[in-house]
Amino acid sequence: MTKLVAGGIVWSKTVAGLFIAPYETSRRIACKGKAFELLFIGLMLVGYFGLASLVKIAAFRPFLLSQQFFILFSGALCNIFVSVATLWIAGRLIGVQARILPICVSWAYTLVPTTAWFLMTSVLYVLFPPPRTTSVAGLAFSAVFIIVSATLLWWKIMLSHLAIRFVFRIPLATILVVYALFVPVLAFESIVMYRLGVFKVPFL
Amino acid sequence: MTYKANATYTNFLKRWEEVTNLPPQTLGPFTGMYKLLTGRFKVMPWPWFLVVSAVFVVVLYVILGSAIAFLVTTLQKGF
Repeated sequence: MTKLVAGGIVWSKTVAGLFIAPYETSRRIACKGKAFELLFIGLMLVGYFGLASLVKIAAFRPFLLSQQFFILFSGALCNIFVSVATLWIAGRLIGVQARILPICVSWAYTLVPTTAWFLMTSVLYVLFPPPRTTSVAGLAFSAVFIIVSATLLWWKIMLSHLAIRFVFRIPLATILVVYALFVPVLAFESIVMYRLGVFKVPFL
Repeated sequence: MTYKANATYTNFLKRWEEVTNLPPQTLGPFTGMYKLLTGRFKVMPWPWFLVVSAVFVVVLYVILGSAIAFLVTTLQKGF
């Protein structure tokens, strides 16, 4: 129990570090990231998907809630698996042999902004249900929503970039080659998830 | 005192190895500009993120007009 609490504190400090000093913290994660940190990221995802299932089903029906939770959680796990595997293969293709654990831990931390955006959207869905109108208030809400969403997107892009940079230890030109291999696979996977009705906005 | 000095030196050495382990990014004649830009994002990048996002929203509003409300409706249903 003490170890769990200590692990939770370490994880929280790392997340705070990604918020305040992303460069330094990403570097530390790639060098010294531990497998137990994946547990806390898993707990974060479980917490979010539990809430998202409640919001989506909007009724206390255990079977439907469990089904929705299972679909979302499996979809997210599938996304993580595809992302990590693609990165690992891309690394091999460019001639870098990175260990799988640093890729997993570094990539898993990039799910923090993703989860933050999905959490914000779920909460706002309850507080201010769509559709948005073209009134002044509706447009103001839309502008603020896009500003916050774009801010989280920049954070996500930066963390992903730093994860690739520090795990593979490669220069910018090679990082762009990794993106060229990585992005089409993720785009295809996102389309599959959309067609299956799991995620309308890709949970990457 | 010697112990403290040794510990400081060991820590410095560890840090030095960690930093020099990764060669610095260079972009030819654009290296200076690249360093200037990325330097702002290394610590507390949020003010810059917000500024870029605000500009992004203005550009989006110029392009889409009030259709940004539709975009947000779609995004809100997207979780």
